[in-house]
Amino acid sequence: MLFARTRFVLLAGLLFAAPLAAAAGASPTDQLAKQGEYVYRAAGCYGCHTDEKHAGKPLAGGHALATPFGTFYTPNITPDPETGIGRWSEQDFLRALREGLSPAGDHYYPSFPYPSYTRLTDEDLRALWAYLKLQPPVKQANRKHDLKWFARARSFVGSWKVLYFAPGAYRPDATKSAVWNRGAYLAEAAAHCGECHTPRTALGGIKSGMHYAGTRDGPEDSVVPNITPDRKTGIGRWRASELAEYLETGMTPDGDSAGDLMAEVIDNGLKYLRKEDRAAIAAYVLSLPPVEHSVRKAGKKPVKKEEFE
Amino acid sequence: MKHPRICQRILFASVCLVAGVAFAAEPEDIIKYRQSVMKANGAHMAAAGAIINGKVDFKGQLGDHAKALQAINKDINSLFPKDSDFGETKALDAVWKNSADFQKRAKDSAQKADALTKTVAAGDSKNYAARFKELSDSCKACHKDFRKEEK
Repeated sequence: MLFARTRFVLLAGLLFAAPLAAAAGASPTDQLAKQGEYVYRAAGCYGCHTDEKHAGKPLAGGHALATPFGTFYTPNITPDPETGIGRWSEQDFLRALREGLSPAGDHYYPSFPYPSYTRLTDEDLRALWAYLKLQPPVKQANRKHDLKWFARARSFVGSWKVLYFAPGAYRPDATKSAVWNRGAYLAEAAAHCGECHTPRTALGGIKSGMHYAGTRDGPEDSVVPNITPDRKTGIGRWRASELAEYLETGMTPDGDSAGDLMAEVIDNGLKYLRKEDRAAIAAYVLSLPPVEHSVRKAGKKPVKKEEFE
Repeated sequence: MKHPRICQRILFASVCLVAGVAFAAEPEDIIKYRQSVMKANGAHMAAAGAIINGKVDFKGQLGDHAKALQAINKDINSLFPKDSDFGETKALDAVWKNSADFQKRAKDSAQKADALTKTVAAGDSKNYAARFKELSDSCKACHKDFRKEEK
């Protein structure tokens, strides 16, 4: 009984919190959640944790991510106590994003981009947690990853972390401008651009010296473009304002429209950011060292249908 | 007039040949044609965008770009006939599998391009940017579900 009543009070509190806050100035909790919503957009949680292709409920997981290591199915991160993260504490959440460890102490596969999220500040992580807790719970059991044999042992991830994972929040570079640092924080910690745009080694680690240079082995079989400012193979011909616009509208300087995964990243996340934040990301990305690296497939012959049948 | 029947036959054969080529276009050629049309689509988007966003001052040309966009987007679906799904294409199988959805998207682009053209023709410059953005969003929405990035 008592439990049921507490729940009712909590629910009522949730329902009425927003209008009340709007009327009387936001409470600290609401403000934190609001900040969390911004982090949530910048970090692109929705895109991977929602199975939009099959009309899945927001954040209930089940979105398939095909990679060279097998297919990962993202987990439910709604506050459902049984199938989601409803029983987690804030500490559990911080540890998951900062260290890539589950509440039970298991390693997460780095398909969950904690090597980037670890760069988020404590404050942003707490804000994100406050926001996620307010989302509607969805009961939907997690689907097991379908991995190739060599990637199945989670202990393998422990060794992987020793090689490729350096936990800890982003530390601003004092020699660079505030805008540059803001852009670096958003790109590296939140938007995790490098998780897709940087090629990986055979062991799935980020290839050094190839930051943002693109790859033919992107998730979902995609070819991920080189976004370093190399003029020939990257986006060195783009102006910062054009890149910032692209991050908002998805339209490239030559009038093409983003598709596939990048359209998802823009539609569910980047377009909600403040203009100056998109400008900061653009300024940062275009300040990086250019890497000449073409990801286009050379001389692929067209295949006729009959050859498959 | 010496060999009227031979002349007739040659004429008939050449008509058949031309018609045959027209009806059985190679899938690769259809794909290339489609890509050319889409490239033109993008180029007019870029040109119109530059004018609408005030980067360049070719206002007199905006109507032409809008009309070109209207013409190109009239029936995008027709650029994707059956059997043009193999070869150097980024079109996903979904174009043909979820054909109803795809047609809906194509129609949406046609409507958005129409609306832009009308707004420009009416000189309603306050709404250029909004109509343009709606068309650009329509392109993106379709690419999101139906185009693979560089497969």
